[in-house]
Amino acid sequence: MTIHVSRTLTEAAEVVADIERRSGERVSTCYQCGRCTSTCTGTFAFDYPPHRIMRMLQLGQVDEVLNSRTIQLCFDCMTCSTRCPMNIDVANVIENAKMVADEQGVKGSEKEIRFFRLAFLQNVRRSGRLHEARLLTSFNLLNFKPFNDISLVPVILRRKKVHIVPPKIKNRGEIHRIFQEVNGGGKTK
Amino acid sequence: MTSRRATDVKEVRAAVTVPDLAASATEHPGAYSYFPGCSLTSSAGEYDVSVRLVTAALGIKLDEIPDWNCCGASPAPHHWSGNLGVLLSARNLHIAGYHHDTMVAPCAGCYNRLKNAQYELAGSEELREQTARVLREPVRYEIEILNVVELFDREVTPEMLSERAGGRLAGLNLATYYGCLMTRPAKIMNFDNARNPVSMKPLLKATGADSGHFPFKSECCGSYMGMPKKEIVLRASRRIIEVADDMGFDAIVTACPLCHQNLDLRQDQINKTFGTSLEMPILYFSQVLGLALGMSADDLGIDSHVVSARKLLQKIEQRRERV
Repeated sequence: MTIHVSRTLTEAAEVVADIERRSGERVSTCYQCGRCTSTCTGTFAFDYPPHRIMRMLQLGQVDEVLNSRTIQLCFDCMTCSTRCPMNIDVANVIENAKMVADEQGVKGSEKEIRFFRLAFLQNVRRSGRLHEARLLTSFNLLNFKPFNDISLVPVILRRKKVHIVPPKIKNRGEIHRIFQEVNGGGKTK
Repeated sequence: MTSRRATDVKEVRAAVTVPDLAASATEHPGAYSYFPGCSLTSSAGEYDVSVRLVTAALGIKLDEIPDWNCCGASPAPHHWSGNLGVLLSARNLHIAGYHHDTMVAPCAGCYNRLKNAQYELAGSEELREQTARVLREPVRYEIEILNVVELFDREVTPEMLSERAGGRLAGLNLATYYGCLMTRPAKIMNFDNARNPVSMKPLLKATGADSGHFPFKSECCGSYMGMPKKEIVLRASRRIIEVADDMGFDAIVTACPLCHQNLDLRQDQINKTFGTSLEMPILYFSQVLGLALGMSADDLGIDSHVVSARKLLQKIEQRRERV
């Protein structure tokens, strides 16, 4: 087991408080019944199941949480939140932990998900709508795996499941302003 | 296998939509604002076509929201600022609210994002101000948002449908699959029961089909992980299809294009990866209603699914010949 000494206890408590403030949830109310974990669809892919993430936050082990695969890989299906007997929106806690990790520059191990989000948002920023074919191409290029999902291409083409010309909305200026607002408007929430 | 479509997608769209929206607001006082979303314009084109055909057949008027944009899907709300998802969806709410009091978003992902944005906007003055800054107008966000199940539930009673369907789908056993986004989080979606959703049942029953309890009806298919983390989606989706297969269902019925993509488009990948031989048709809720109303499978775009629904269609055909 690795021991992280990069943060003081006060700093760790501040990060937990930040996650609580953003999510509006109180991690201290979790009593570790494990119901979130028993209903979670994604545990097979995670390093820590959701109830352990909650416990680690209670104990101030924020480095482990922010660096975990769990917060990157959570499907956000919100089953855990539906089942929690304390009405904690666990998925929301995990999502906000991920945002804090992003903000602090923690890249995490799951680069594909980062690339996917980047490719997706670039795509929307450019034309206002998503062009699925272009999303796959730009994701594959970022990910250095040009032939990922290539087997789907003939299927998609044959069934006319794709636009050849990327869709574009008229008022792209407004979309541009939205992106400018969140990127240039300071870290307000 | 060649796919032949009797009705061209473009023809249906041109025939059913009303392009002049400024005029249509007064022409169709009872109409709904329609938000197709990006998937329905490409990979889920058949969902769009079937919704338009079935609503037209039932006398429901849909006006496509002019110049709508992407709702932000899952990547935008995960943006560190947290507001990107709200702002992108807010623009759509704003435009839709200009024309009608109620809007329909068939894609479960869009439905979820739009309702989330509405909830956030209602709760934060600061966010409303930020949105107004971008839109250069005070934001209109109070429009009522419906998914397709809600829409049909409101417009059609089971008795009406049953009369028109004449038991056309009798003998079929359909698994209702709701996924995550239509019902969760419960306090925001406020639709059906997040733990045990049942809203598709009354209308499906009215088609004559059976729809027994499907225990995986709100299990996650793996969501947007399909592209970045394929192996995870294949594993999550396999369980859902396998359970439906074991239980003897003829098809899985969904109202989400992303679920459809994971369960249908990737079913072949699942078979190749795990050595299974699953062949479970995945149908959209609107397509099932269309079949019940006697529309052809080709018109409803069922031929554009990757997993063939041949056996299921044969069952319907055989029954028709017997009657």
